[in-house]
Amino acid sequence: MLSHREVLATLEMLKNEHLDVRTVTLGISLFDCASDDPSRFIENMRTKIGRLAANLVSVCDNVGERFGIPIVNKRIAVSPIAVAACPFGPEEMVRIAGAMDRCARDVGVDFIGGFGALVEKGFTKGDRALIEAIPEALATTERVCSSVNVASTRAGINMDAVYLMGKTIKRTAEMTRDRDGIGCAKICVFANIPEDVPFMAGAYLGVGEPDSVINMGVSGPGVVKKAIDRARASNPRLDLGELSEIIKRTAFKVTKVGELIGRHVAKELEVTFGVVDLSLAPTPNVGDSVGEIFQSLGLSRIGVPGTTAALAMINDAVKKGGAFASSYVGGLSGAFIPVSEDLNIAESARLGFLSIEKLEAMTSVCSVGLDMIALAGDTSAETLSAIIADEMAIGVINKKTTAARLIPVPGKKAGEKAKFGGLLGEAAIIPVPGLDGSGGFITLGGRIPAPTQSLTN
Amino acid sequence: MKKIIVSVLGHDRPGIIAAVSDVLFRTGCNIEDVSQTILQTEFAGIFIASLPDSLQIQNLHASLCEKLGPMGLSVLLREMGETGLWDAPPSDPFVITTLGPDRLGLVARITELLAGYGVNISNLKAVFRGGENPQANVMIYEIDIPATVDQHAFRESLYERGAQLGLDISLQHRDIFEAVHRI
Repeated sequence: MLSHREVLATLEMLKNEHLDVRTVTLGISLFDCASDDPSRFIENMRTKIGRLAANLVSVCDNVGERFGIPIVNKRIAVSPIAVAACPFGPEEMVRIAGAMDRCARDVGVDFIGGFGALVEKGFTKGDRALIEAIPEALATTERVCSSVNVASTRAGINMDAVYLMGKTIKRTAEMTRDRDGIGCAKICVFANIPEDVPFMAGAYLGVGEPDSVINMGVSGPGVVKKAIDRARASNPRLDLGELSEIIKRTAFKVTKVGELIGRHVAKELEVTFGVVDLSLAPTPNVGDSVGEIFQSLGLSRIGVPGTTAALAMINDAVKKGGAFASSYVGGLSGAFIPVSEDLNIAESARLGFLSIEKLEAMTSVCSVGLDMIALAGDTSAETLSAIIADEMAIGVINKKTTAARLIPVPGKKAGEKAKFGGLLGEAAIIPVPGLDGSGGFITLGGRIPAPTQSLTN
Repeated sequence: MKKIIVSVLGHDRPGIIAAVSDVLFRTGCNIEDVSQTILQTEFAGIFIASLPDSLQIQNLHASLCEKLGPMGLSVLLREMGETGLWDAPPSDPFVITTLGPDRLGLVARITELLAGYGVNISNLKAVFRGGENPQANVMIYEIDIPATVDQHAFRESLYERGAQLGLDISLQHRDIFEAVHRI
C-alpha cells in the first residue's frame, strides 16, 4: 500500500518539476558492418540501424506513456566511424555521414552520434580522413554529431590533434556561417571520453561495448531546484550539509525512475541495458535550468564568487544519490553547464558574470567542460586550440572527462548574440582575453606526455 | 476447517482490537489476517480467522456481540465462501490520482468508468474537505488494469472523465512510486 504522502510527493515531481527521462540512447556497434567498399559499408550500416532502431521511438513513447513520464529524446550512438570505416578517405566519410543522417531520419530520432575518432595517442588513416570530413559532414547533415577524443590521463594530450580540431572547428563554423556556425554545436572535443555517454553531442558507442545497448540520460535540474526551494521555505536555517543531503536524495529518486524506465525500454527492444548517466542537463525552458539551482543556494547569479564551490557540492551530491540508486552508473554523470542551452546561464554570460576563465574553473569540478560557448568569429584556430588544450589538461590531470564545444560565430563579435534555435538555444558571445597570443605554443605540436597520475598500476 | 470474516464498525477508541481478538482467542479462533482503518472519528476493522470444528458460528457471533455491543460497536460475521466467484485476471498495477474541488458524484463517476473496463481497485484513499485547496480534495486509487484492456484507450477515457468532473487527474504505473520512495 502506498502512502498518501508518497503518492502526492511523487506526483509533484512529475507534474510541476519537469521530471522526465532526458534521453534514451540506443548504442549500435558497426564493427560487423566493416567492408573495404563504402557502398557495402553504408548498406550494412543502414540494414543494421534499421533493424535495431525501427521500434525505438514507438517503444519509448509507449513506455513513457505507461509510466506517465515522458522520454524526451530518443537517439542513436554508433561505433566511432573512424574505426569502423577506417579504410575510407574524406569523401567516403562525408557519404557515410549523409547515410547516418538518413538512417536517423528514417527511424525518427533527432540525433545520431559517433561520427568520431579516438586520437589521444596518434592518428590512423581513418582518423585523419574522418576529421578532415567533419566540416562538410556537419554542414550537409542535420542530425549527425561528432566527438573526437584528443587526450587521456593514460596517453597525455595529442597536441597535433588539438590543433587539427581547432582548425576543424573554424572550418565547420565557416561552412555553416548562415546559421551562426551551428555545425560547431555538433562537435565535442574530449579528454577521457566515456564509452557509454548517452548525451549529445558526445554520444558514441565505445569499442568495448556490446553489439547493442540502451544507455539512459536522466536529468531533472528543475526537480533539484524545487526540492531545495521547498526545503529552505520550510526551514530557512538549513546549512549546506543539509542542502547537499536534499540534492542527494532528489538525485536518488530521479535515478531510480530513469533506471526503471530504461530497463523496460531495453527489455521491450530486446537489447542489453547499459548505464544510467546521472547528469543534470538543462534545456532552454523556464524551470529546467542548472543556473537557477545556484540562485536557490543563495548566490545572486551563477558566475559570482562561490559558484565553483556550489557546483562542486551539487555535482558530488548528484553522484552520491545516483550511485546509491543504481549499480550501473556511467557516462558523464554530473552537472552540465552548456551556456546557450540554459536560459539562466546564458543570461549570466550576457551580463558578464560568466567569463571563459570562470567557466574553465567550474569545469574542474563538474562533469563536462566548456560547453556551447559562443566566441567571436575572428577567434583564430590557434586560440581555439589553446582553449581546448587548457580544458583537456584539466581532464587529464584530474583523471576526469572534460570536453570543449566551442562555436566561433562567423561575422559576429563579443557582446553580439548567436542564435542556434531549439534545444541548442542562444547566447551572447563572450570575449577571450589575449587574443592571438597562443599560436607560438600551439604550433609546437607533439604530444604532452601522460602525467604521473597515469602510473597507477 | 471453516473460515470466517468478522467486520467491526463503530466510534474509534482504545481497546477495540483487544476486545475482538480476546473473544477470538477465548473461542479458539486463529486470526489469519487483520486490517483496520479510521476515517475521521470512525473505526472499521476486518478480521479473517479460522474456526475450530467444535465452534458454531452463531455462538461466536453471540460472544462477539456480548463483548462489543456495550462498547457501541456493530459486528458483522459471515462464513468465507469458496474462491472462484471472481478470479483476478493477469494485470498491471497503476495508481490514479485526482486533485480538484469537491462535488457530488466524483467517486461514483470515476469508479463507474473503472468498473466498465473491468479494472479492480486494490486500495482507495479519498479525502474531501471542500474548498479550493487541491491537497484537501484528493482521491488515490491503486488499481489493477487487466492485460486485455487497451491501456491507451483506458487512459484517454479516464482523462476525458476527469476533465468532465473538473479534476486534475493522472494515471501512473505503480512501479514509479515504489522506485521513487523505496529502497
